[in-house]
Amino acid sequence: MKTINASGVGEAIDRVDGRLKVMGMAKYASEFPVENLVYAQGVNSTIAKGRIKSIDTSEAKKQKGVLEVITHLNAQKLKAYDKVRPSYTLTTIAPILQSAEVNYYGQFVACVVAETFEQAQYACRLVKVTYEEDKPDIHLNKNKGKAYKPDEAADYLRGDIDAGMRDAEVKLEETYTTPIEHQHPMELHAAIISWNDGKVKMYANQQILHEATIAVADTFMIPKDNVEIIAPYIGGGFGSKLRINKHIILGTMASKMLGRPVKITVTRQQMFTNTGMRQFDEQVMKIGAKKDGTLTALAHYTTSHCAIDVQYYETCGNVSKMLYNTPNNEITHRLIPLNLQCPDSMRAPGEATGSFALECAMDEMAWKLKMDPIDFRIKNDTQTDLGAGKPFSSRLLKECLRIGADKFGWKNRAKQPGTKQEDNWLIGYGVSAASRNAPYKKTSSKVIIELNDGKVHATIQMDATDLGTGSYTIIAQTTSDYLNIPVAQVTVELGDSKFPLTPGSGGSWGAASYCNAARVACQNAITGLKNKKNISLDQDISVSDLLKQNNLNKFEAEGTAEPSEEFKKHSVFSFGANFAEVWVDKDTGMYRIKRMVNVGSAGKIVNPKTAYGQIIGGLTMGAGMVLAEQSKIEPNFGNFITRSLADYHVPVNLDMANIEVIFLPEEDKIANDMGIKGIGELGITSVAASIANAIFNATGKRMRDLPITPEKLIEAKVEKGVA
Amino acid sequence: MRPFTYTGAKTTAEALKAANANSNSHYLGGGTNLLDLMKEDVERPNELIEVANLEHKQVIRNEKGGLTLGGMLNNSETANHRDVRTWYPLLSMAMLSAATAQIRNMATNGGNLLQRTRCPYFFEVSMPCNKREPGSGCGALTGMNALHAIFGWNDKCIAVHPSDMAVALAAIGATIEARQTDGSSRMIEIAEFHRLPGDTPEKDTNLEAGELITAIHLPRPDFSTHYYYLKIRERASYAFAIISVAAGLQVTDGKIIKAGLAMGGVAHKPWKLTSAENYLSGKTPNQANFEAAARLAMKEAKPLEDNKYKVKMGEKAIIRALTQAYQRKA
Ligand SMILES: Cc1cc2nc3c(=O)[nH]c(=O)nc-3n(C[C@H](O)[C@H](O)[C@H](O)COP(=O)(O)OP(=O)(O)OC[C@H]3O[C@@H](n4cnc5c(N)ncnc54)[C@H](O)[C@@H]3O)c2cc1C
Ligand code: SF4
Repeated sequence: MKTINASGVGEAIDRVDGRLKVMGMAKYASEFPVENLVYAQGVNSTIAKGRIKSIDTSEAKKQKGVLEVITHLNAQKLKAYDKVRPSYTLTTIAPILQSAEVNYYGQFVACVVAETFEQAQYACRLVKVTYEEDKPDIHLNKNKGKAYKPDEAADYLRGDIDAGMRDAEVKLEETYTTPIEHQHPMELHAAIISWNDGKVKMYANQQILHEATIAVADTFMIPKDNVEIIAPYIGGGFGSKLRINKHIILGTMASKMLGRPVKITVTRQQMFTNTGMRQFDEQVMKIGAKKDGTLTALAHYTTSHCAIDVQYYETCGNVSKMLYNTPNNEITHRLIPLNLQCPDSMRAPGEATGSFALECAMDEMAWKLKMDPIDFRIKNDTQTDLGAGKPFSSRLLKECLRIGADKFGWKNRAKQPGTKQEDNWLIGYGVSAASRNAPYKKTSSKVIIELNDGKVHATIQMDATDLGTGSYTIIAQTTSDYLNIPVAQVTVELGDSKFPLTPGSGGSWGAASYCNAARVACQNAITGLKNKKNISLDQDISVSDLLKQNNLNKFEAEGTAEPSEEFKKHSVFSFGANFAEVWVDKDTGMYRIKRMVNVGSAGKIVNPKTAYGQIIGGLTMGAGMVLAEQSKIEPNFGNFITRSLADYHVPVNLDMANIEVIFLPEEDKIANDMGIKGIGELGITSVAASIANAIFNATGKRMRDLPITPEKLIEAKVEKGVA
Repeated sequence: MRPFTYTGAKTTAEALKAANANSNSHYLGGGTNLLDLMKEDVERPNELIEVANLEHKQVIRNEKGGLTLGGMLNNSETANHRDVRTWYPLLSMAMLSAATAQIRNMATNGGNLLQRTRCPYFFEVSMPCNKREPGSGCGALTGMNALHAIFGWNDKCIAVHPSDMAVALAAIGATIEARQTDGSSRMIEIAEFHRLPGDTPEKDTNLEAGELITAIHLPRPDFSTHYYYLKIRERASYAFAIISVAAGLQVTDGKIIKAGLAMGGVAHKPWKLTSAENYLSGKTPNQANFEAAARLAMKEAKPLEDNKYKVKMGEKAIIRALTQAYQRKA
């Protein structure tokens, strides 16, 4: 039974925190009023490799308000990495200012602490550092000899690739490249940190709180319970706020050394060098097929880079393990240590870039086979994840492709590239298939139900975070639904590491994990209240009556949701298809994405409105990969020459035109009780390929190097074989 | 940012006096370029003299039968002014293609002409740049130069001027009025206003220290019917031009009486395509003539390592801009 006012799961309600945000009342990390605050600012290295010879801090220290300049000479001793290039995980320590070594351009070499932000910023300019400079390794191509296999999971083989290629009647081998990108959430990285007697409390925009407390505690070699992180609102992260970045350690160290709370912020320019990025990937695709389109072999080899001292890689090849039915399949990932900061996760790490290579290659194969690209994909569809050797919990990829084709008007696509024209525009249609792992993780929450003047109010708590995606809203909806009370009578409290443990926000597991945890807490509350009074669990009775019958005006319950045995026996993915219509100027190299249709199969949609937001954001970021997003490295100095949002181009509204988003009605009960799957990263996956494929359909040019800028397009040649 | 003092000038005389008294001062228009550069430590004035509020904020008819645009009027109001839209739609179109609505609301006409290059080496103080630090070398010449010049450069500096407005002004043939510190005025033709790098790439223009731009004079409008501003860029707005072309045609009885053509994104100054203009004058406006004019214009192009594409793109852009201008019905 649902009361009239309950705004339960599945309804497109407005964000419960919308009003606070619009009114500027939602507090972000750097906005908390903390007394006696000082300001810290990092100083970046201006060489990419070498050693600090000297640091002259005298001029900086003389300035009004400057309290301290921390360098490797006076820094606190921190824990060091226990091996060469450990994996960069959520709990990895972040030692900084521990030696004179410089491993990349922009590395923090000092930290100025002052009474005001302006004083700190200015004094940073006055810290004079001299270096003994070495020639940095910044070119992937010149360092191919240093490529190594990062770990066992990097490689995968099923069947025999050479045999599969020998069996093939049509073959393809092409290289696809994607540039370094930066996450650039709207909210800059920032934190207010207080060190008190070995205990640390910080307001910091971390996506995942628990792991972050471990990383900070380990770095300072203090017990992990001594670190508390508060992050009620976060203005986007896209992966850049998953791990503990070095400025957090600088700020903590400064607070420890000065005995005052420290606010440390990272400038937009520093967000190119100090808070993560997506790596450059070079992907070689090898595909073989029979004339009827049956795949005989699929290989996906990725070469990328990592830092000198830590290792991370996005698994571009993983999508090629599971998306299509092919007996022979080989995946490798290789890394080359370069003098660049360590790459880390950026929205759909691996899938966003890997799907570009795979789905462009599939389009190229379809063209060679003279097959419709949709038919070719459907021909090689599979209900089993061959990579994992498990059945999919649900896979509606065929349906996504067919329904999308219908909505989009795929039948109007020109069979021959370059033949559909209007005035100066060449018109092309492109399609791609998308898949994204839909993880679900052990998650706890606590619900506090109170009765006040006969009215029930529920407060639900967990250490989850809302990056602006809508977590508050869908948790409120779930609570409203399972307690059967109006959403206005629910308060959601997130973003405190003292709250019940969750996996935090990242990897598209938030919605499923958070909602199910809220569900279990609510169910436990109702069961608990019923059990106390021996009321049958089947009886339909309101929470307020339950409280009254128990003579209680407050009741608390905790709940933990976790993956079932069935979940573990299946491969759980969200699927989708993206369709793009692109108009390419026949002469100037400019093009416009006219419209896109995106069909997703992502389990139960808790709130269509916030879900649309996720997909539209994903499509925009995916379009950005094609249009312009790239961080360019200066070949002689090793720094990024794109250094603000004026030259790091993300799409503007005008670039995005018409978007239609369709969710197939679905509840995947194997995925979890509520049938929810992730969508945050599904939306960006494969978008780039659909646009590149549309450009081919428009022009006959294969653009295998992102982004596809006017200068590349104007120089590109029409493929051989295109009339 | 380095500490600086702020002087809010109430009159032009006050502003000029303050500038005369301090050679390390800068005028502050909308601040959309200057403040960014100060944050980057590229510009280091110790005093800002705010001029955005001075009286030169009107659009009035001048004695040459054209319009005079106030130096302190903002870009939005200028581009959207009824008379500008009617008589100089080319200028309006160019200005509205620049930056964002928010930036255009702040940016002044004087400041727009004096905005500095977007060369990334210029913006990063740890890299060599002759324009920022004379004698330190040109980082772009031996580094990344896909967005740099194909005309008029030398090995001292290969930067391009970023203003869209200035390109339209070059096609139209505007005159800049500057007030000198002694209070007197002088007129500078747009073609003489910006300069090529020569031996002093640190100087973008021929304006002298302390000179204040108070007005932009436009000649009689010749291109209010046939005009087009083509801007090639990576995204649909909020991006500087990779290449841009301002094209204006005056056509009578099927003949081109006068052509105004200038290019952006190709040189240290708005690049006036004089040979193409001359070629077109008296000719029939057709594809063959547009193509010939474009070829002529690009003949002198000298591309760098990374920007060879600009020669082809430039040629296509000229043809397209001329075609669009001619086909346009006002
Ligand atoms: C992200 C971004 C994107 C942009 N995109 C574009 C684009 O696509 N196309 C384009 O054309 N422009 C673009 N712009 C540049 C913008 O047009 C200029 O920043 C603006 O026009 C400068 O005007 P202002 O009044 O703000 O100048 P300010 O920043 O105030 O001043 C610039 C310079 O002019 C001097 N000055 C100002 N007024 C006078 C005066 N009256 N007399 C003498 N000296 C003066 C100042 O001392 C300073 O040296 C962009 C800017 C940004 C930040
Ligand atoms: S092109 Fe000019 S602005 Fe750019 S680095 Fe060279 S000298 Fe400096």
